[in-house]
Amino acid sequence: MTSRRPLLAALLIALTAMAIWPSGAWSAEPKPKPYRIYMALWRGWEEAAQGFKDYFTNQNIPVELIIRDAGQDKSKLKDFVAEAKRLEVDLVFTWGTTVSEEMLGRLDTVAADKHITEIPAVFAIVSQPLGSMVKDFASSGRNITGTTYLVPTETQANLIQSYRPFKRLGVVFNPLERNAQVAIGEFSEVGAKAGFEVISRSVDLVDGKPNPASIPAKVAELKKAKVDFLYIPPDTFLNVNRDILTGAALEQGIPTFAAGENPVLTSKAMFGGVYRYYTVGQLTAYKAEQILVHKIKPAEIPIDAPKRLSIIINMPVVRQLGLYPPMKLLGLAEVIDPTEGKGK
Amino acid sequence: MTLDHTRPLFIRLLLLAFIVLVPPVGLLAHGALGEFARGLVPEMDKKAETVGRDLASSIERAIGYGIPLDKLQGMDEFFAPVLAANREIRYLAVTDRDNRILFINGAMPELLTPYFSVTDFEGGGSRKSLIGDFVNLAQPLMSKGVVVGHVQVGLDQDYVQSRLMEIAVDIGVMTLCSLLVSVEILLFIVTFNVIGPIRAVSTVMDRVRRGDFGYTCGVISDDEVGRFVHGFNGAIRHVDGLFRRLEAYMDEIKTAHFDKTVVGRVMDIEARVRFLFRFSRTGQPEVINEHQATDIRLPLFLFVFAEEMSRSFMPLFIRDLYTPSTGLDQEMAIALPIAVFMFFIAAVSPSAAMISARKGSRRVFLIGLLPATVGFFMSGLADNVFDLTLWRSLTAIGYALVTMACQSYIAQAAQRESRAQGLGVYVGAVLTASICGTGIGGVLAERVGYRATFVLAAALSVVAGLLIYRLMDAAQPKAEPLSPRKREFLALLRNWRFFALVTFAAIPSKIALTGFFFFLVPLTLLQTPGYDLGDIARIMMMYPISVVLLSPLAARLADKMGWKAGLVAVGGLIGGFGLLLPVLSGDFNVLGVSIALLGVSHGLSASPQLAIIPDICWTECRNMGQTNVLAFLRLAERVGSVIGPFLAAAFIPIYGISGAVIALGAVVLGMSVVFALLSFAYGSGPHIEAELAE
Repeated sequence: MTSRRPLLAALLIALTAMAIWPSGAWSAEPKPKPYRIYMALWRGWEEAAQGFKDYFTNQNIPVELIIRDAGQDKSKLKDFVAEAKRLEVDLVFTWGTTVSEEMLGRLDTVAADKHITEIPAVFAIVSQPLGSMVKDFASSGRNITGTTYLVPTETQANLIQSYRPFKRLGVVFNPLERNAQVAIGEFSEVGAKAGFEVISRSVDLVDGKPNPASIPAKVAELKKAKVDFLYIPPDTFLNVNRDILTGAALEQGIPTFAAGENPVLTSKAMFGGVYRYYTVGQLTAYKAEQILVHKIKPAEIPIDAPKRLSIIINMPVVRQLGLYPPMKLLGLAEVIDPTEGKGK
Repeated sequence: MTLDHTRPLFIRLLLLAFIVLVPPVGLLAHGALGEFARGLVPEMDKKAETVGRDLASSIERAIGYGIPLDKLQGMDEFFAPVLAANREIRYLAVTDRDNRILFINGAMPELLTPYFSVTDFEGGGSRKSLIGDFVNLAQPLMSKGVVVGHVQVGLDQDYVQSRLMEIAVDIGVMTLCSLLVSVEILLFIVTFNVIGPIRAVSTVMDRVRRGDFGYTCGVISDDEVGRFVHGFNGAIRHVDGLFRRLEAYMDEIKTAHFDKTVVGRVMDIEARVRFLFRFSRTGQPEVINEHQATDIRLPLFLFVFAEEMSRSFMPLFIRDLYTPSTGLDQEMAIALPIAVFMFFIAAVSPSAAMISARKGSRRVFLIGLLPATVGFFMSGLADNVFDLTLWRSLTAIGYALVTMACQSYIAQAAQRESRAQGLGVYVGAVLTASICGTGIGGVLAERVGYRATFVLAAALSVVAGLLIYRLMDAAQPKAEPLSPRKREFLALLRNWRFFALVTFAAIPSKIALTGFFFFLVPLTLLQTPGYDLGDIARIMMMYPISVVLLSPLAARLADKMGWKAGLVAVGGLIGGFGLLLPVLSGDFNVLGVSIALLGVSHGLSASPQLAIIPDICWTECRNMGQTNVLAFLRLAERVGSVIGPFLAAAFIPIYGISGAVIALGAVVLGMSVVFALLSFAYGSGPHIEAELAE
């Protein structure tokens, strides 16, 4: 409903314009001043950024996007903060946990000189915003709002159970990243109630950096521990090395479930239950619209996830494992099957 | 509860209505059902084909992804919702190219394997074949242009039959209701327009035969009967006029005749005439109105009908209104309006009885209709539980006033006959109204919704009021005012036999009625899959129907065998046992039987409960009057009516709805057992003599 109003306004302006300048005067049509949005990205233009941009196009909201990519370099983010302030943009969009925490500040570290505080901001693809970025999902308590993109742990566990009942869930994780450990903790809690066990192995550190080469050995260890499923947590290191991880799992014959879409879409994870980045981007843009067009304070806009869960099944992997999905899940799922030439 | 004198007439009218109504309805229904059956079969085939095609395309998609047909996963969960949503489909199966059953849901594979192994499903498109009691539809599964197996959809051949049966039951129930309603109306027309006037005429005629010409009939209808009565009255007035003329002539002779002997003869004759005949002193004959118990039957029927319309869905309606913010548990919230309704009836009834004795039944009936009608109407507009409770209390006040007015009217009108017969009229009207109101109310609620049904109830109660207003004359039979003191009532409770009867027979039977029947039954039945509001109402009709069928029998047994305490005890045990039946049989579908048994229980015990009073309260009846003792029993048992819903509501959080039925059953059965044991002692120990001596 709310989204229709700007559309009508635009239509009205267009009609009025046509009435005043009946012919050949289209160049004189006054364009409403576009909203200026500073988009700070972590690893280039991807689906969430596209969804964010497309929303404004589809809703006919004029925006001027100032796009900056940190290229996974944390040091650039200080300059981004300064630039956004200098340009006096209307809104800042931050992508990912690192960008959002560095530019908007954590609850405990936020400072007006180092972070963006005056300009309203929306964040997306932040794994664990609660407690670090926001006080409460109902209200950030700050001049920011945003979206979450992780499916609740219990939903994920149920999803795996609905594929095949399991007793042991294996996880390989990077000890330097917090996200995976939070996920492991939550899964253990759910498992205690639902009756499954979580078995985790951290990758080896070499010179204080996680070593991708150690991943296959960890997966083999999990195989020995007789895990039924391998869970791929939302973890940047694992995301980058997803081919090694999922390849090792497939070699060991362990089915994999991914909390993010990349391991399923572009690698060899068997299936995943995710909110698509594109949808998350659109939802984030909707919240930006609330702030820019409807002048609602960011603190009054709840932080939530898209309503629709996407179940993605990687059919070549399924066939290789011979572990076929139940009919009901298959009916709901988006099937990735490049060999058959049908993506859906 | 001896049968009222209108019973033979009632039965004759019922027969008449039956002959007029049932054959055409039966004929029409037969034709319609045939048409329906012819239309249903192809519809079912079409549906089965659609279902088969849908399933086949999902399975083909899975096969298309390279999943082998025999490795399909989660087929039970895949088939189950389809089976649940389509009651006519009995099984779903997938067979491979050799017709071996790979997956099946809803039937035993052993049952079908012999058929499938010899059937050739090859050939394009879906194929229909008969397998035992099933109609089997095979839908080919294609993969890369080759048939790899079939989806088999099994239709129940009996389904059409059972659907037709359901519809036939529907028609039967509606016919029964229309039959009863038309008989009530016929009975009213006949008694009001024919029997009443004829009785008045016969009363007057009786007096005329004894030489009394001082009365005429007070009937002023404009039909044949009215004209006859008019003519009859004219004849009496003519005789009266003749007498006046004779009197005047004799007066003239007495005062003016010269011959004293003639005067003496005339005075002799006058004395003789005055001795043999009686004429009104004023020259204005007194009007006789024959008040009959049945006069009030139709208005009472309509009013109770209106109230009973909400019987089958009241708890469901309250549940829809319920919001957690009220600070009440849902169960208590549902119990509240029902219990408060009962409370107000109990609280208002005694004073309502006194008011109608003083002010006249007609006026009290009309006064009572006002809150009742407003209550019905506003209940339909209620938007929360407290709202509804308020309007239901208003209805309860009206209900108490109206029913008490009717009882006192009937009691006075039936004075010349026996009171028991009058009571029969009352109970008869209430029970037939209960049968029709419950049945029709449920169907209405299903069709037009709860709220509109309440509005219709208000309209019916207005019609009842109009009938009373237009047809009953203002002159009312006078009643002797009765007002026993409260302390005497308390003394009644010291009679242990009476106390046992109230506490362990009358109260549990009311607890079962309001807690189980009014409260838990609609809630439990709604949980049963496949039951709609109409079904609930039809099942609930079992109660008044079994009461109607059994009451006369029980009354006769109680009269003839004198086995009153025993009947009360047996009735109570049957009711308690009925409530426990679901747990004994392990199946909640027998709730209909429980309801019928409750009806049996109340049918058996209600009239002996009253009939036993003169036996066990001999002294009290003599001191206070039997009517008052009975009234006190009625009042005391209402304690059970009020606590019933609350008790049921308290059990729900502990045992669940089904468990609450059992728990309530245990309470009722327990109390009934106590009464049964005590009833053995009724005949022994210090009895009437000892109590007399006190």
